[in-house]
Amino acid sequence: MTQEPIIDRAFLEKLERLAMRWQKSFPGLVGGHNLSLVSGQGQEFLDHRHFHHGDDLRAVNWRAYMRFEKLFLKMFRVEPHTPIRLLLDTSESMATGSVQKLQYAKRLAAALCYVGLVRLDSILIQPFGARLADSFPCSGGRHRFGPAADFLTQLRAGGRTDYFRVVRQFVSSYPQRGLLIVVSDFLDDRDCQKPLEYLADFGHELLLVHVWAEEDRTPPWEGELELIDAETGARLELEFDADARERYTAGFDAYRDALRKLALRHGGRFASLPTSTPIEEAVFGPLVAARGVE
Amino acid sequence: MFLVNLTWLQLFAVFGGLSAGVVALYLWDRSKRRLVVPALRFWQPAERAAEVKHRKRIQQPLSLLLQLISIALLLLALAQPRWGAPGPVSRNHVLVLDTSAWMAARSGAGTLMDQACAAARAYVRSLPAGDRLMLVRADALPAPATAFEHNRAALEQAIAESYPGSTALNLGQALEFARQAQKLQGGPRGEIAYAGAGHTADAPPEAGPALTPNIRVLAVPDAAAGCGLRRISVRRSASDPGIWEILASVHNYGTAPQTAVLALSFSGSPAGSRRLALAPLADQNVAFQYRARIAGALEARLLTNAAFPGDDQAELELPAQKLLNVIVYSDDPKPLGPVLTADPQVNAVFRKSSEYAPGIAADVVILDRFNPSVRPGADSIWIEPPPDGAPVLVQSTVSNAELTSWRSDHPLAAGLRAKDMRLESAEVFAPAPGDVAVARIEAGPVIVAHPLAPKFVVLGFHPVRGALRYELTTPLLFANILRWMAPDIFRRWELIAGSPGTISVALGPEAASAGIHVIAENGTELPYALDGGNLRFFAGTPGAVRVIAGDREMVFSLTLPELAGAKWTPPAGAMRGVPPAAAVPRAFSELWPWFALAGALGLVVEWILFGRGHVARIHGHFGFLRPLRRSAP
Repeated sequence: MTQEPIIDRAFLEKLERLAMRWQKSFPGLVGGHNLSLVSGQGQEFLDHRHFHHGDDLRAVNWRAYMRFEKLFLKMFRVEPHTPIRLLLDTSESMATGSVQKLQYAKRLAAALCYVGLVRLDSILIQPFGARLADSFPCSGGRHRFGPAADFLTQLRAGGRTDYFRVVRQFVSSYPQRGLLIVVSDFLDDRDCQKPLEYLADFGHELLLVHVWAEEDRTPPWEGELELIDAETGARLELEFDADARERYTAGFDAYRDALRKLALRHGGRFASLPTSTPIEEAVFGPLVAARGVE
Repeated sequence: MFLVNLTWLQLFAVFGGLSAGVVALYLWDRSKRRLVVPALRFWQPAERAAEVKHRKRIQQPLSLLLQLISIALLLLALAQPRWGAPGPVSRNHVLVLDTSAWMAARSGAGTLMDQACAAARAYVRSLPAGDRLMLVRADALPAPATAFEHNRAALEQAIAESYPGSTALNLGQALEFARQAQKLQGGPRGEIAYAGAGHTADAPPEAGPALTPNIRVLAVPDAAAGCGLRRISVRRSASDPGIWEILASVHNYGTAPQTAVLALSFSGSPAGSRRLALAPLADQNVAFQYRARIAGALEARLLTNAAFPGDDQAELELPAQKLLNVIVYSDDPKPLGPVLTADPQVNAVFRKSSEYAPGIAADVVILDRFNPSVRPGADSIWIEPPPDGAPVLVQSTVSNAELTSWRSDHPLAAGLRAKDMRLESAEVFAPAPGDVAVARIEAGPVIVAHPLAPKFVVLGFHPVRGALRYELTTPLLFANILRWMAPDIFRRWELIAGSPGTISVALGPEAASAGIHVIAENGTELPYALDGGNLRFFAGTPGAVRVIAGDREMVFSLTLPELAGAKWTPPAGAMRGVPPAAAVPRAFSELWPWFALAGALGLVVEWILFGRGHVARIHGHFGFLRPLRRSAP
């Protein structure tokens, strides 16, 4: 039996016209749409200089030598890449809901990864739960998408979310600043806003993608409920009715607004994606609107 | 008020069980539900104002009450309540209507069947309205025409659609079937009524205690017993195939001696007649002979004034006599003449070998010591073919050889045992793969047969030259060769006119070894039983059935009606005649439609008042259905 691809070919073809965007200039790093003034290895011509002993003969401008009878060396613009890191929440809470948020998040991550690969960006897929899991770096064009898709497919949900620990580990592991895409339901019983603020303060540009299921926002149940936290196993018994549902939804919306404000306040972007929205519609709708991709 | 389908006790028992189930489901539905959620952070603010209730408490008593009332009403509707006084107990009757061949006999203005139908209709109308009746049509096999029915119009329609069949009544089987039907139906048993003349082929059922309590006889006046043809058998004479031997069997059904004239005609021309003096309740066989080689219709007609005309006439299609056309190419035909002309089914023509033509129309070609340039297209017999151009390789020629063995399992050597035959001169063959060596001398095969079409047999010696012409083996060998080449022409053929039903044929003890086929008119094989040398099969409907057993073929034209010889005498304790019509006025009114309506209404009201609030709950239980709902057009 062949496994169904994480993203179908028609959708991939549509993704080719998109590109990852970031607003910040990261010190010492250029790439993509930010030009570099540093010469070095590259494809684009920058300037000429006199030939010195030991220079690479392949860079000599022989036409200039024929004309001036002097050796000139061609210099090229260096093309360092801004690192794009995609933090993908694989905690147990992502496995709840009628449509698994993790499955949705994996497909979204695959789409973003493909957009980056098409534009020759370097992307690091970094799953996390209570701590950072094994990452997967991918770069070098669209033909490298297959291994990335395989990596995403084999991811399984597990563990509880611990943003404080994850952020600490991330900052120590990746000192280089860059674009940081966080795909998560942001449902941590402890506050996750502080760790996110810490990441922004450290110099990363945040793109927060909030994935939620319909019942995360509007629980359909009524009556006496015994609730079990998917991550911690904590229990809560309550009587749930229409009024309680309204209070619940209001609390959820307030939390989502807080996340949006956090992202915008630090020059980042925020997209809220319910799993009921088809993935294609989500990328070309809310994600483009939030200028996550263009 | 009374219930038709259930007793009150049964009703309360069923309602109790259902109520317990509903209450349990209700409590389960309202009980605390265990859910796994991604986080508790948004639930805790929602909990603050909520009041935790005890799970066992019925939160919506009106909803449960409405459901229970609705279930009770629907159950009452199923129990079929009636308002008023209950009538007599509803019983299940079976009416056995005789549809045997005898019922086609005329009696008075109509047939016996008309009278039986009239009696059956009167019986149906006499039954109380609550009683159910099954109509069974009975001839050789009982066949239910209806189920146990309240609907009198449907029963009368089924009676009107009943016609006499072709087989005799098997009354014992029909009554047993009726008893089994009543037993399987359950409930109070009613009567088993029999409407018919009572002529049965089987032994009449005895008046045992199981039969007498509930049997009713709706007898119809019997027709005057006459005489009729029972069987006609026609076959070619063994001594002269041009003559048909006709054997007719006439039966006197009456208790007094009768005289009748049996007249035969072939294709419209008189073929013979005989005046018969028939003893009471006995068969008389009459034999005729008629010479005819051509095909034609043989009609046998019994000139009598019997009430039952169906068995007074029979017609058989006789085929033309087939001849085997043999052409003999020989420069010395005289010795072969007696061998071939002795069989009247062989038409032999003798020609010189110089007149040989390969395309000439013949069934068999005999080539006497002569090899043609082109082999014949028909089956052929080669006698002492010259080695050059022989159909089988000639190995050697020997003289004064003794025939040592015959291949006795092959039809060509059937019945041939002579081992002391001395052959003055014989060719020894080297048979090709697939050829059969029929006879051998010490040096090798001297008779070889090629079984694939066109068949041929090669004889390494001349069978009618020298001393061999006086041997019995020679004509037998030729007869075997011709029968092997044209089995259809020599097959023994017999045509029998009889009645449908169980047919028994005496085939002889060797029949089991022959391939037996019993083929109906539509080409399907009928099942049969072989008991010793007797073949038995059943044909329920009129038509032709062919029985092929080895070289024998019989065609049964089953068009004569099968008339039963025995008359059934009903037991003394049996009820007789149509009972007086039950005057049971309809003293009740049906309530079940109202109960059904009220029950359905109660469920609708409950759903409107309480069901809508459960939609979200249902979504919670069956959340996986939501993508399906969304994708639905």
